[in-house]
Amino acid sequence: MSVRALSGRVGDSVPRVESREKVTGTVEYIHHLELPRMLHGVIFRSAVPHGRIRRIDVAAAAAVPGVHRVVTIDDIRSVIPNPYYGPAFHDQPILADGKVRFAGEPVAVVLAADRHVAAEAAALITAEYDELPAVLDEVEAMTSDVMVHDELKPAVTFPDLKHLKGRRGTNVALDYRLRHGDPETAFATADHVFEHTFRTQQTMHTPMEPFVTVADVANGRATLHTASQGPSFVRIEIARLLGWPENRVRVRVPYLGGGFGGKLYIKLEALVTALSLLVGRPVKVALTMEEQFYMVTRHPCTFTIRSGVNADGRIVARTCKVVWNGGAYADIGPRVTQKAGFTSAGPYDIDHVAIDSCAVYTNRPPAGAFRGFGAPQTAWAYECHMDMIAAAMGLDPVAFRRKNLLRDGRPQASGTPTDDAALDIVLDDIERRMNWAAPFDRGSGRIRRGRGIAIGFKGITAPTTSVAIVNLYADGSCGLYISTVDMGQGSDTIMAQIAAEELDMDASLIRVVHPDTDVTPYDMGTLGSRSTFHMGNAVRRAAQDARSKIAALADELGLPPGSNLPLPEMLKKKYGMQAGNIIGTGSYIPDYEKPDTQTGRTRMGTPFWGVGGTGAEVEVDTETGELTITRLISVVDVGTAINPKLVQAQVSGAVIMQLGATTLEDMIYRDGHLTNGSLADYKIPTLLDIPRDFVNVHVDTEQRTGPFGAKGAGEISTIALSAAIGNALADAIGVHVLDLPLTPEKIFYALQAAGGRTVTGA
Amino acid sequence: MASFDLVEPRSLEEAIGLLDPEDPAVRPVGGGTALMLMMKAQIYKPQRLVCLRRLGGRLSGIAWDAAGSRFRIGALTTFAALEHSPEIAAHLPVVPRTMTTLANVRVRNVATVGGNIAHADPHLDLPPVWLSLGARVLVIGPAGERTLDVADVFAGYYETTLANDELIVALDVPVRPGWRSTYVKVTTRAQHDWPALGIALSAAVSGRVVTDLRLVLSAALDKPTRLVAAEAVLRGAEIDDAVLRRAGDAAVAETEIVTDSRGSADYKQHLLRVHLGRTVRSLMESGT
Ligand SMILES: Cc1cc2nc3c(=O)[nH]c(=O)nc-3n(C[C@H](O)[C@H](O)[C@H](O)COP(=O)(O)OP(=O)(O)OC[C@H]3O[C@@H](n4cnc5c(N)ncnc54)[C@H](O)[C@@H]3O)c2cc1C
Repeated sequence: MSVRALSGRVGDSVPRVESREKVTGTVEYIHHLELPRMLHGVIFRSAVPHGRIRRIDVAAAAAVPGVHRVVTIDDIRSVIPNPYYGPAFHDQPILADGKVRFAGEPVAVVLAADRHVAAEAAALITAEYDELPAVLDEVEAMTSDVMVHDELKPAVTFPDLKHLKGRRGTNVALDYRLRHGDPETAFATADHVFEHTFRTQQTMHTPMEPFVTVADVANGRATLHTASQGPSFVRIEIARLLGWPENRVRVRVPYLGGGFGGKLYIKLEALVTALSLLVGRPVKVALTMEEQFYMVTRHPCTFTIRSGVNADGRIVARTCKVVWNGGAYADIGPRVTQKAGFTSAGPYDIDHVAIDSCAVYTNRPPAGAFRGFGAPQTAWAYECHMDMIAAAMGLDPVAFRRKNLLRDGRPQASGTPTDDAALDIVLDDIERRMNWAAPFDRGSGRIRRGRGIAIGFKGITAPTTSVAIVNLYADGSCGLYISTVDMGQGSDTIMAQIAAEELDMDASLIRVVHPDTDVTPYDMGTLGSRSTFHMGNAVRRAAQDARSKIAALADELGLPPGSNLPLPEMLKKKYGMQAGNIIGTGSYIPDYEKPDTQTGRTRMGTPFWGVGGTGAEVEVDTETGELTITRLISVVDVGTAINPKLVQAQVSGAVIMQLGATTLEDMIYRDGHLTNGSLADYKIPTLLDIPRDFVNVHVDTEQRTGPFGAKGAGEISTIALSAAIGNALADAIGVHVLDLPLTPEKIFYALQAAGGRTVTGA
Repeated sequence: MASFDLVEPRSLEEAIGLLDPEDPAVRPVGGGTALMLMMKAQIYKPQRLVCLRRLGGRLSGIAWDAAGSRFRIGALTTFAALEHSPEIAAHLPVVPRTMTTLANVRVRNVATVGGNIAHADPHLDLPPVWLSLGARVLVIGPAGERTLDVADVFAGYYETTLANDELIVALDVPVRPGWRSTYVKVTTRAQHDWPALGIALSAAVSGRVVTDLRLVLSAALDKPTRLVAAEAVLRGAEIDDAVLRRAGDAAVAETEIVTDSRGSADYKQHLLRVHLGRTVRSLMESGT
């Protein structure tokens, strides 16, 4: 391989190390992988949203020439006796087991050497169901008689779910609470009390690379080649399912064509491993774009927020009731519920706060992690609520926020201080860039204009571990062994820069070895904006460890102090030839205090705070409801940028993604069936949907506990975006639309409901 | 996808002979852009595909007819060829303008005029334009040739009046001196999307009066349809808000718009009223 033009140290905007391979089409993706004797699996899916399976008829499929085998849960059980998986609950069967819980759930798999034959045969499978009533709405599911699961089965790894074990007669899969002060008493004495309910819709991650896994189980070893964001977790979960030690399971991940949280934890891997085990041949399952809608989605959310505010604009009390629609299987939903619940009162200094955040099962495709981990849903509510209060009280929305903002490290509702959270700096920056003090022309004719801002924050999943190995070879070049997955965010580049800085070497001499659990050490997963911070710290420690080993070697060789003999010379001295290695290891787990189970209080609930703010200007055609975002400014606090160019790419990428959730994307159901599960009908933003005036920046700050002052960037600009646009829309038309997405039709009818007239907002 | 035969006949006669009047699993292929998607989705499972690309002759090329009053456009003409033809740009500028929001370069490089019409998806952008221009289609089958209005090709949602063994050979598009044409693609989701409604208008204008016109609605209906009642309101009328409102009401009354993922019936009826008025006004102001 040629030497790459990478010399970057921390702070340099070096190009991504894999750019050339990607644009020339030579990078490895699992979709391209073919193994000798490999079979392709094509999934047959449930046609009903909820029902008991009476019969699955696979005879016609099995009779198709070229079909190797048709597999149902009974076959799976012969190799994996307890075929249920999941990170939080062991609730998801590898294939439907007696019951289907959403339309689109995998029921059977056809295996054939030719994928087209398997697809043809899968279309011949039929199934009969005793249909059960289905529940799709999260609020309904809280009290519905329809039970998606008969009994809750939390995984042991989550202590905060222990009390749910064996619970029956409920759809509630997590009930997170936070109690701080006494909001009810405070409401009674507050000058004003406001309450609003907001909703967000179900959306899909839509990675351009659909889910794909190849499993090769042979000779008592399982090798998985998979497009996963969490190879270490996959190994642990597959080992658990098989009852094998971890060292017999190998999980390899090359590059990903996007993940966005969807490819976390365990997805196709359990099924494909079982299939390979069953037939003794390598098996590949590659989903189509359309099938992705049935894998994992973003939680719809209904959020009722209530605030007590004094006449001077101080918020004295706030309660948050958040219900998350987790779909048929919990996936990591309970963590989303808890983590996003934790910050659902917003980045404000409020003395009395109560939060109840519930995950519920419904008969929809499962919901899991999705860029922002629930924070965009909650910020949609609390930041629109802020503007509605400001409008009602005649306050300037920026001044009202500033008055209540957490600053100087003041503890957030849980008791965790907001150290190194640049909330005030971000708010000031948006205000300045929006030229907020200047008069703003809202128009008076058919086209109305409005502007809005919003700010939000998020806590980071904790406590999580990253481990790194730095391997200096005898010629002085370096391999960096990490299980962080580069899914397009540029982690290979960042990690090489961090190692280069610490080792005082050219980053182009560092090769990042991709996740392969036989070779690369443990990492919790590439998720939740955690890698730069956690893995960055681990890489730095591994490099420091290598440096101290080099110093020890110098000692051993009797070199004079301060000698700068290059490492290759030192190794040659020691081994008599070009030989040997210096291996440095480092691991990182942040300080953490488990929240109190009753009050949710903790002094260390997050390793750092992600802070993002957005300013938006919009135009609305009041005759049609058409919304045009004319200006969009996103400002994030990422600490010190290791690679400013990559930070900017993360900020703009996250913005465009959240723009889709704000204005376009919505999984729509009729009678429990998804009606728009293809890219022809489920629209995501294209370049044409990006605002003309499009600014994506970060403020200069320092995360003192981060590697060289850095923290995560991947999700942060999603947080406040929807609310900023919602607030700008309300400023233009005088009414708030409370449900996402903000479609022209919804806006048009909101205008009609407001009397067909346009009122100038605050 | 099961295996199928792909044949590439060299003559029109041979091609027709390879088609089958009864068997829907035998179909011709133009650019294949629509057919391949249906095959991928397993909506269409062919036995034999008759690829037209080697035919050339009458199926290819853009030419003036002898009288110089109409274009003959071969069925295999690609969108890109239409888009970049100086003749078309000079005489039917609405066609290249429509191309700017139609699919993408890769699709336009292969999609054909004939395949586009025969596909009969009501959301397509060109059929309403052809209707508004008064284009006719030349069709050939075992029994010989016939010509029909483009409008008469469409029988319903993805349905045509063509027999299984008939081929579209060419399109005849009249050029009406003094007429102006426009096409408005109204999307309600992403900017680049299938239209919620397509409005094609071709009209002769004198001062503030629309002396004659052809007005077509697509996408919101199961096939592109002339709005004859709205045309009647507008024909000969001096255009003002009241006339446009009446035309909009007539358009809504004469069509049966249904709810779909691009909007409720009510909302799309409202959009039809608004955009019909805007389309007429912009055509009056445009001068081309
Ligand atoms: C990514 C993408 C984006 C698109 N976006 C748009 C858009 O924005 N606007 C828009 O209007 N369209 C759009 N389209 C649709 C496109 O216009 C059609 O797919 C195309 O016009 C079909 O032409 P074709 O030659 O490829 O037809 P084919 O796929 O070859 O054939 C279509 C049908 O016509 C039949 N057929 C083909 N030729 C003949 C003939 N000569 N005589 C009789 N029957 C024939 C075939 O048997 C088949 O039933 C898009 C398509 C794609 C793939």
